[in-house]
Order: sequence, then structure tokens, then C-alpha cells
Amino acid sequence: MAAANDEVTRSQMASAPSTPGWLVVAGQEVRDLWLAGRGPVLVLAFSLLLSALTYLAATNKELNLLDQKDTVNLVMQVTLAVGVALALLLSADTVSGERERGTLEALLLTPLSPREIALGKLLAALTVWPVAAAVSVPYAWALRPGTGLFTDAVVAEIVVGTLVAIAFASFGIIVSTFASTNRVSLAVGFFVFVALMVPTQLPGGAAKGWLGDIFLRVNPLTAGAHFMDKVIVNNHTWSQEAGWLVAPILAALVAATAAVVVTGRLRLQGGIGR
Amino acid sequence: MVRPIDEKTAVPILSADAMWRSFGSVMAVRDLSFEARPGEIIGLLGPNGAGKTTAIRVLSTILPPTRGKFTLDGIPHTRPAEIRRRIGVLPESSGYPLNQTGGEFLSYHARLFGHPAHRAREVAAALLTEVGLAERASSLIASYSRGMRQRLGVARALVNDPKVIFLDEPTLGLDPAGQRQMLQLIRDLARQRGTTVILSTHFLDEVEEACPRVIILNRGQVVAQGTVAEMRRRVAAPRTGRLRVPPEMHGRALTALQGARGLASVQSADDHAGSLTITLDEASLAEAQNGRGGMNGAIAALVDAGVPILSFELEGSRLSDAFFSMTKED
Repeated sequence: MAAANDEVTRSQMASAPSTPGWLVVAGQEVRDLWLAGRGPVLVLAFSLLLSALTYLAATNKELNLLDQKDTVNLVMQVTLAVGVALALLLSADTVSGERERGTLEALLLTPLSPREIALGKLLAALTVWPVAAAVSVPYAWALRPGTGLFTDAVVAEIVVGTLVAIAFASFGIIVSTFASTNRVSLAVGFFVFVALMVPTQLPGGAAKGWLGDIFLRVNPLTAGAHFMDKVIVNNHTWSQEAGWLVAPILAALVAATAAVVVTGRLRLQGGIGR
Repeated sequence: MVRPIDEKTAVPILSADAMWRSFGSVMAVRDLSFEARPGEIIGLLGPNGAGKTTAIRVLSTILPPTRGKFTLDGIPHTRPAEIRRRIGVLPESSGYPLNQTGGEFLSYHARLFGHPAHRAREVAAALLTEVGLAERASSLIASYSRGMRQRLGVARALVNDPKVIFLDEPTLGLDPAGQRQMLQLIRDLARQRGTTVILSTHFLDEVEEACPRVIILNRGQVVAQGTVAEMRRRVAAPRTGRLRVPPEMHGRALTALQGARGLASVQSADDHAGSLTITLDEASLAEAQNGRGGMNGAIAALVDAGVPILSFELEGSRLSDAFFSMTKED
């Protein structure tokens, strides 16, 4: 029998420099997501969406009412929305999903702190954003002729998307920490995303006046989208529109901090006031 | 390598002292105190809702105790991460990532306990062999039977070479062959590794088979603890016995027993010639509870009368009788 591990095993475990636990969790979650999970399917579906969008924009003159800059902006905005939504939904599934599948207890029985477990899972969920952004790059490249804004557009997308993805993924894991079922976690995450996303789809004049301006600026999604719009379509400089980055930066900081605090309370059972 | 153990003199590896755990106004575990020594297998027995799973969750640091304390390998419960390095747990209704192979699953958990990647693979391979899953190491867990998943769960609980392992209903849902394999595995763990096993179950036969010592919980409270033999003796000393004699000697047996010492009554059982039921009187029952006498007078009377005894069975001598006696509803 393998009791031969015994003291040797203990001393090895004590002395060998090992990978930090959160990195082990993140590595496994990334493998589960991208090698054996939903990641490739989601990205394939996303790239098909972008393909259809780009094809129509590039070839169909009757349907294409947008100019080239607007088209690049549209691809970037869609990428932002889809990438952030996926990061949110994947992170909302992390803890509550494990809870529902009965695999959370085994993780909590390891020497890792709940925060380390959550951090690993959060990082894995966030990987969907850079992949989505990378998928959008060839489409932006294909649509760029005549716009001269390829680099600006991609950088703006990466900066805004990273901030907003951190904010929403952190929110997702907070919800997941407390949710007693995965359905609740995903529903709350989706509802909040849609509620914050809707204003970006309103016509430009729908949010007029100082109240409308505040509303656009405090919502990290609308503020980020507005920033990208101004940089990509209106050729404004970053310093001109830096104010629109305040909400995404603050949202990322506040949500990440809250996630650090809240995931320390990660327990086997969901619910509030456990 | 086998750890040398002397169960009687060894220092307790696990010691719970007046441990309580409540959920709001519901007291799930009350005043739980016990000690476990290296290599011991202790059965945690109780009906559904008795507090077995909660007790294990507290002892495995998933839940903090509301009151009281426990130490594991000398480490107080206030240092849960250190305790988790020394325990293995097979939780009740444990889930598994179905899209991983058994080998990947164990390697992952070995790495969570600090093994470097190459060592984690070695540990995984050794444990899969130990639990009889070596040939399925590369198969997805989704393709495992329930018994195989339970054995994989035991292997996962061993990745850190624990000093104490908690098994919560490990044979639930297994077929008889699977149950037997699991019990054998548990005995091997204790004997060959020197691991202390806390086995929670409500299957009395497997406790009798695998656990020298038993703690019976009811409504969160310890109602009895000791060896299986002590349980039988203390709570359910045999008062009634059934015996079978050749049908043609039924009358002679009846006469002999009616004159025997220490019997309160003798009856022909079930209208079958040759079947008799005998009941001890109070004095003999007291003797039996002290581990003496009991049915000896009846047997001696039959032997003296030249009646061959074809079978003899004591009622109330099984652990199940003790269990039902101690956990019955008021």
C-alpha cells in the first residue's frame, strides 16, 4: 500500500517551494474553461457574431449605413459588451456553481484560504476578456482601411474592457459567494449587467442635461462606451476624455476591494447572515 | 511503511472537549467530547439528523464550533489551516468535476496541498493504485460508477497523507460488493497507514464489521460511546433467547427449561415444534449486564436433560438493538 509516502511526503510538502495555491486554482480553472469547458464554444459563437457583423459592414452597401469609423467602433463596443458579460457570468458561476455541484467542500478542506480560492477562480473567469479582445483584433484590422485608428481603437478597447471586466467579474464573484443557488447568482449577474447595459443602447439624446450626464458618467459601462466612442469615432485624445475613465477605474477598484473582503466570508452554504 | 501504533497507550490524535454547534436556535451538536488514538476506527453512528455531518464539519474546520474546543495532533481548532493539512475528508454526497480524469483530479488536489507538479502526479498515481483505480486513471470521472467515485473521494482525502480521515457515509448508495471494498479499504487505511478513521454511517452492520469503537449520536447529543461489545452489554444486554431443538424433544426441552435457574418464562415459539423462546428473570438479567451468567442456566438444563441444541440466538445482543434502544423517540 502507498503508505510509503509517509514522512517523506510530509517533509517534501514542508520544504519544497510550491506554486501559490491561488495560482494552482487559477491554472486548473483555466484548463477546465479552455480545454474541457465552455470557453472555446463561447469564443466561437462570439467570433461568428463578429464575422457576420464585419461581413455585413464591409460588403453590403445597402445595409451598411455606418461609416468606417463607426463600424470599427461598433465591433469594439460589441466586444466590450460580450467580453464583459462573459466575464461576469463565468465569475457568477464560480462559487455557487461549485456549491451546487458539491465540489466546494473539497476545496474548502484544503489549506487554502477562501480568498485564495476565490482569487484563482476570479483570474480564470477574467481570461475570457483578453481572449474576446484578441478575437476582435483581426476584425478591427479588416475594417481599419481609411480610418487610421486601428491602434487607438484596440488600446482603448483593451484599457476600458479590462477595467470594466475586472469590475463586473468581481461583482459576479461577490454575488456567487452569497448566492444559495447558481440560478440566483447567474440571474442577479445578468439582470445587473442588462440594467447597466441598456443606457448604452439609448439614442444619444436620451440622456440629456446634468442628470443624464451624471448617469452616464457613474455607470462604468456607459462611461467606458462613451470614452471609446469619443476616441474612436471623434478622434479625441485620451486626455480630452479622461473624465470618462473615472467610473471604470473606480468601479474596478471598489468591486475588486469588495470582492477581497467578501470572499473572506466564503462558506459552504450560501445566503446572507450565515 | 507501517506506522507502529499502540492504541491503548498512544496519545490521542483527536480530542474534542464539550463541543457545541448551533444554527440559530437549532442545536445540531451538543456537548460532544471524545478522544481518538492513532490507527483507531471510530464509528459515528446515529439516525438521520443526529448531527453526524455537522460534527464532522466542525472537526474538519468547515464550521467553527459555537462552544467548546478540539485539538487535532495537538493543534487547537483556532488554527484551521494547520488542521486541514493533517486531515482528509470524504464529505457526504461529495461532487466531482466530471470533465476531469481521476488522475487530473488527484494531481490537482495534491498540488493544493503543496506538492510540486511532478510529485503531485506521483502521489496521484500511487493513490489510484491504492484504491484500485489505477487502470481508470485516464478515464473521465463522468464514466466512473458511484463506487469508483467514492473510492476516488477516499484517494482525494489521502493526498496529504492525513493523520485523521473523516468519512461521511462512504458506503451510501453502493452495492454490497462496493460496500465490502470500501470497508476493506477503511480497515487497510487504519492498519497499514496508522490513520485514525472517523466513520460516520447509519449502517449498523458496517460499524460492527469495521469499527472497534462507536459513538452514538442522537439529536446532536452523545448518547453512548465505547466498544461495540460495551454497547451491547450496557444498553441491550440479552434478555430473550430463541432456541431450536429436535421437534420430537420439544416436550422434554420445555420441561427441562421450566425447572432451569434464572428464567422468568419459557414459551413455545411460533407454533413450530422444536422452537422455544426463553426470557431471563431480573436477577439473571443483572448478571448478564455485568457480563456473567445470563443464559448459561438454560443451556445447562438442556444439556443435563440430554436435549441437543440445534441453534441458539440471543435477542437484544446486536449493536442494532443497542442503537434502537438509545435513539428511539420518546
